Amino acid sequence: KAARRKDRVFVWGFSYSGALGIPSFVRPDAGWKKPRRIQATPYRLETEEKISSAACGYGFTLLASNTRDITKVWGMGLNKDSQLGFQRSRRDQTKCYEYVLEPSPIPLPLEKPQQTRVLQVSCGRAHSLVLTDNEGVFTMGNNSYGQCGRKVVEDEIYSGSHLIHQLKEFDSRVVQVVCGQDHSLFRTKKGTVYACGWGADGQTGLGHYNITSVPTKLHGDIAGVNIIQVSSYGDCCLAVSDEGDVFGWGNSEYLQLASVTETTQVNVPRHLPFKIGKVKEAACGGTGNLVLTEEGNVFVWGYGILGKGPKLIETAVPEMIPPSLFGWSDFSPDIRVAHVRCGLSQYAALTNRGELFVWGKNLRGCLGTGRMEDQYFPWRVTVPGEVVDVACGVDHMVSMVRSF
Amino acid sequence: PAARCGSAPTPAPGGGGAVELVAAKVPVLADHPLVQGPRFRKLKIGAGDRLDVKASGVFVLGIGHGNKLLTDLYNCHLTKVYTVGGLFGKATDDFSDTGNLVEKTTFDHITREKLERILAVIQGTNQKALLMYSNIDMKTQEAYELAVRGLIRPMGKSPPIITAVRCLQFALPEFQLEIHCLHETQQYLRKTVHEIGLELKSSAVCTQVRRVRDGVFTVDDALPRTQWNLQSIQEAIQNCQLKVETELERTL
Repeated sequence: KAARRKDRVFVWGFSYSGALGIPSFVRPDAGWKKPRRIQATPYRLETEEKISSAACGYGFTLLASNTRDITKVWGMGLNKDSQLGFQRSRRDQTKCYEYVLEPSPIPLPLEKPQQTRVLQVSCGRAHSLVLTDNEGVFTMGNNSYGQCGRKVVEDEIYSGSHLIHQLKEFDSRVVQVVCGQDHSLFRTKKGTVYACGWGADGQTGLGHYNITSVPTKLHGDIAGVNIIQVSSYGDCCLAVSDEGDVFGWGNSEYLQLASVTETTQVNVPRHLPFKIGKVKEAACGGTGNLVLTEEGNVFVWGYGILGKGPKLIETAVPEMIPPSLFGWSDFSPDIRVAHVRCGLSQYAALTNRGELFVWGKNLRGCLGTGRMEDQYFPWRVTVPGEVVDVACGVDHMVSMVRSF
Repeated sequence: PAARCGSAPTPAPGGGGAVELVAAKVPVLADHPLVQGPRFRKLKIGAGDRLDVKASGVFVLGIGHGNKLLTDLYNCHLTKVYTVGGLFGKATDDFSDTGNLVEKTTFDHITREKLERILAVIQGTNQKALLMYSNIDMKTQEAYELAVRGLIRPMGKSPPIITAVRCLQFALPEFQLEIHCLHETQQYLRKTVHEIGLELKSSAVCTQVRRVRDGVFTVDDALPRTQWNLQSIQEAIQNCQLKVETELERTL
C-alpha cells in the first residue's frame, strides 16, 4: 500500500535566537554536543499538527494550523516585545520567557475557540498579526508606532505583556494580513487596503508621514480598485489588482518606485506603469521587489543582489530573470514559477514542480544552500519533498513541504 | 590502373621482315592486388566510449589518423543521450532483467506524475553537482551567463552527471526514459533506474540501454551491421568530418 504523503516543516538559518524552534541547537541536550549557530541546510522541524501558514519575523517565527482544536498558533524565537504572546515561565509563574526555543502555543482570546479557524499569520520586526475566519485580526507585540492597531501608550512596557488586541471594524472580512517592519496592512474581501503603524517613509500610504494607530483605508491610485494581493516586509509596499496592475507606496530610496517619481518617500499609493504583462503576485523585500506575471516569468528591480549576476546591483525598471535559471529547458518546457517570496535581502521562488530557488545575501546561512557565500543568481535548495510554501525572514527561512 | 609508356617491337606494316619500334601503352602490374596482396592488411582502430555487453546503440570508432581526433573529442566532454527502458515490480542484484531476482513489489500506485516528480528531483541534484564540478567561481558574471545558457559543464574528471531526463513512454509496468549524461557508465544508468524504483516506493529493473547520441554522432550517422563495407564507411567518415571539425573548433 502506498504511504500517504506527509506534510512537513523544514527550517534553516540562524538558530541562536530560537527562531528555528530546535532547542538542541542553542542548548545541547548532551554534554558532547556543541551548539549549532547556523543551520545551513534544511532541517526538519517536528510539529504536532499540520501547519498551514508560517511567517518569519525579525528573529522569531509563527506557525499556524487550520485546525479547530484549542491550540492553533505556535511561536518561537525572540519574545522581548511579547510578539509571541505571554509565554509563562516554568520557574516563575509571573515572569515571561524572553527567548522561546521550541514551538510553544500562543493563547488567543477567542470567543469560540473550538469553531474559529486561523487562516494566516504574519510577522514584522517586533509585532505579529493572526487572521481568523470570523473573529477578525489579533495583534500582539510592540505598539510604539501603533502597528498593533491600538492607541499608543507612552512608556508602555511590552515585555511580558498579556495584551492581545482584536481588530474587527473593517468594511468587509479581512482576507490577508501583511506586516512591514513597523506597520501593518490589511486587505479585505472587497479589495480595499487598510494600514496602521509607522509612516515616516509613507509606508502607511495614507497621505501623511505620521504614525497611525487605527487601521485606516487607503486611497490614492488604488481607490476603487479591487486589490487581490498586498505585500511588504521592510518599508516599501506593493499591491496587485485583479487586472494585473501593480501599485506601490512607501520607501523609494532604493529605486523601488523610481519609475514614477524621483522622491525617496511616497505616501500615497501610485500605479507603477510597467509593460511586463499581467502581474499575478508581488513580493517586497527590504531593498528590492519581485513580481510574478501570469506567464510565469519573474521580474526584479530595486537595489542589492537582484539575481542577475554580480553586475546588476540596481535598476529602477523591472528586469526579467531568465527562466532557464529555474530549470526551464527544451526538455522541461512546462516549468513555471508559481510563487515568489521576499525576505529582507533574500528572494525565493517556488516552481510548479515544487522546487525552491533562492538568491540574495546569505545572511548567517539563511539561504539554505549549504554554503555561506552570497548567491547572485537563483540556486536550487535541496529539500526532500515538494515545497508547498516558504516564508522568508531576516536571517532564517521556514518552508512547508509535502513528502514524496 | 597504372600504365606506362613503353615501346614494343611490332612487325612493320608492309611486309618484309623489318621490325620497328612503336610506342604503346602497357599496363604496369606492380600495383595489382594479385601481385601486391590485399590493400589494407593492418588497420589501427580505436574505440570511443565503451558500450556494455547488454547495451546497444551508437559506438564511435576511429581509424588510423582518426584516433587522434578521438582523444580530442573526449576532452570536449560532450553529452551522450541514452534511451533507457525499465520495468516496475522487480528488483535484481545487477539492476537489469537478466540478474538474480531479489524482490518483487506492487506498482499500481505509480502514476506518470509521480515518476516525473522523481525525475525532476534527479535533475535538481545533478544540476548542483554539475555546477560544483565545473569549477567556476559562482560570484562572477561569466558564471551567471553560462548558467543562463546552460553551458556549464565539468571540463575535467567528474563522477557521472545526468544533465536532463525525460519520460518518453509510460505504460505500467514498463516505462522509457531519455537520459542525457556525462562521464557515465551503462551500469550507472541501470543503477539509476533501480533507484527511481526505490524512490517511488516500489522497485524497477532496467530492460534496455540504447545510446542514441554520442557527442556529435547520432543514430542517423551510424552504420548498421549490413553496411559495414568500405564504401559506406568512407561515406560516413566524409559526412561526419565537418561536424567533428566544427565541434572541436568550438570547444578547444
